[in-house]
Amino acid sequence: MITGTNFSDFAGERRRTSAVGTAPSVEVRGLTKHFGSVVAVDDLTFSVEPGMVTGFLGPNGAGKTTTLRMLLGLVSPTSGRALVNGVAYRDLPDPTRTVGAVLEASGFHPARTARNHLRTIAAVAGIDFARVDEVLELVGLGADAGRTVGKFSLGMRQRLELARALLGDPEVLVLDEPANGLDPQGIAWIRGFLRWFASSGMVVLVSSHLLAEAAQTVDDVVILANGHLMGHGPLQQLLQGTAATVAVRVRTPDAQRLISVLQATRPEAGRARLEGPDTVVAEGTTPEEIGPIMAESRIVVYEMTSTGESLEQLFFQMTEGGQMGGHPIGQPWGSVGAQGYASAPPPEEGSS
Amino acid sequence: MIRLLRAEALKLRTIWSTWAILIITMVLTGGLGVLVGFAPHRHDVEALLFPARGTSSWFDLVFSTMTVSVDLALILGVICVTGEYRHKTVTPTLLCEPKRGRMVAAKLLSSAGGGVVVGVAGGLTGLVLGIGLVAGGFGDTGRMLTEYRHVFPGVLAACVLYGIYGLGLGALLKNQVVALVVGLGVIAVVEPIVEGVVPSVGRWLPGQAAEALESVAVSASRRGGGGIFSSTAHLITWWEGALVLLAYGVVLAVAGTFTTLRADVT
Repeated sequence: MITGTNFSDFAGERRRTSAVGTAPSVEVRGLTKHFGSVVAVDDLTFSVEPGMVTGFLGPNGAGKTTTLRMLLGLVSPTSGRALVNGVAYRDLPDPTRTVGAVLEASGFHPARTARNHLRTIAAVAGIDFARVDEVLELVGLGADAGRTVGKFSLGMRQRLELARALLGDPEVLVLDEPANGLDPQGIAWIRGFLRWFASSGMVVLVSSHLLAEAAQTVDDVVILANGHLMGHGPLQQLLQGTAATVAVRVRTPDAQRLISVLQATRPEAGRARLEGPDTVVAEGTTPEEIGPIMAESRIVVYEMTSTGESLEQLFFQMTEGGQMGGHPIGQPWGSVGAQGYASAPPPEEGSS
Repeated sequence: MIRLLRAEALKLRTIWSTWAILIITMVLTGGLGVLVGFAPHRHDVEALLFPARGTSSWFDLVFSTMTVSVDLALILGVICVTGEYRHKTVTPTLLCEPKRGRMVAAKLLSSAGGGVVVGVAGGLTGLVLGIGLVAGGFGDTGRMLTEYRHVFPGVLAACVLYGIYGLGLGALLKNQVVALVVGLGVIAVVEPIVEGVVPSVGRWLPGQAAEALESVAVSASRRGGGGIFSSTAHLITWWEGALVLLAYGVVLAVAGTFTTLRADVT
């Protein structure tokens, strides 16, 4: 179980002494990668702002992992540049203390213990071994530090990856599908952690194909399809520029009255409809907006959730445009999109 | 670089393969030593080949089993780099040291260090065996130690150079099984054939080069052949052997750095 919630307790010495000079940054310019005749990433340009969580979204095979691996110096770009704090990853003076990366296909020696795995990395960066136990404790693996990684579950490995990323108390976090294999508790924890991390002025770039999940964590989005940039900017701004609507689902015994109240108070914004005997879906609004309205009208609320459907609609609208550029995988586009969608948790799970 | 070396040493210490290699080295050295030293002579020919127990030649023969350490040092060198690809630990390794040339250099040095450890393990086993033989009434301490001093340094040096050679092979071939098959296959299969057909080329191959290095003892002990040790005249000199082995390792490692290891890690 991931238990730590008071994240600042676990920040390394450097963070507490606040020795960070300039704001961290991640920048991608004209980044292109060809694998043989396949164009995995095509002329990608975007930058990631510090102080917020940036979602790197796209269906499976969109080029997200390739882009992140180019950013981390693991894959060489065909052309273009990927910069961390203004320099290529390979030229960073102290990579472990600058960037923390959680990667899907990263490995562990099955016979090595979790503690020793992290120690091999700490040794390179000159990080005190005490920090190893600290980060293991943070991700809830304190009791498993002496166990060999071969016996770990997928979720435990994912947490060990996160522990490795945090080892150097970095300024930039790059995470490739960090929710994979985590239980709902773990996902909620990581969401909270990323928010806390970003709020201290750091850079967070997190990739996901689970749109409903990402919608609840990210401020900015970079949307990728077929290796092309489909959209980049604050999520709310992107949503306004499309036909996609924000929606809130409310469970209440006063369903009919809620609908009439909403129609009366916000006739301009979308519509409210009855979904079940006690469930109302209000489109074009947010919990923050209708919460006070319901309180004022003394409507009893059992449950209120953001559906997250909005981001999915936005996503489909944007990625459908990518179809015209030709699909490099040779699969019908729809099937790729559907795959990403099908594995998303149902919107009801997300709570505001 | 010191930090990188410390990390590499820690990596080797924390996998079971390293310990298995050390145990195998000791078991093979000790076991073969006893076997060779006490093989029953059923024929006159064998009696001629095998020197009488307790003689200098006999100790030389017993201690020659320490040379198995050399092949195990090669295996350790191969594992040092191919293990990273096999278990995909190369990703975290490159994340904390993104300059690949530095990573290979650190692994080269740690493989050499691994060779020292394997060589010492084999050497200590040989020494214990020798002491045991003297205690058992076979020969005297002085003769035993003289022969030991002749064999051990060559074996130790060959272990270090084979560790580097194995690292080079692994860096170039990346695949653990392929690198092991090629490394051991060249010594066991290719070399004897080349040696038989074109000895002038064969003597420059890794196995023969190592033998040249190990044979320092034989030539130094002024016996110049006889017994099971055939003449060493066909071999290159010990320092040529050392240089050619070092060249194999470094050239392969540099080639590996510029080809395979430069490739994308996906």
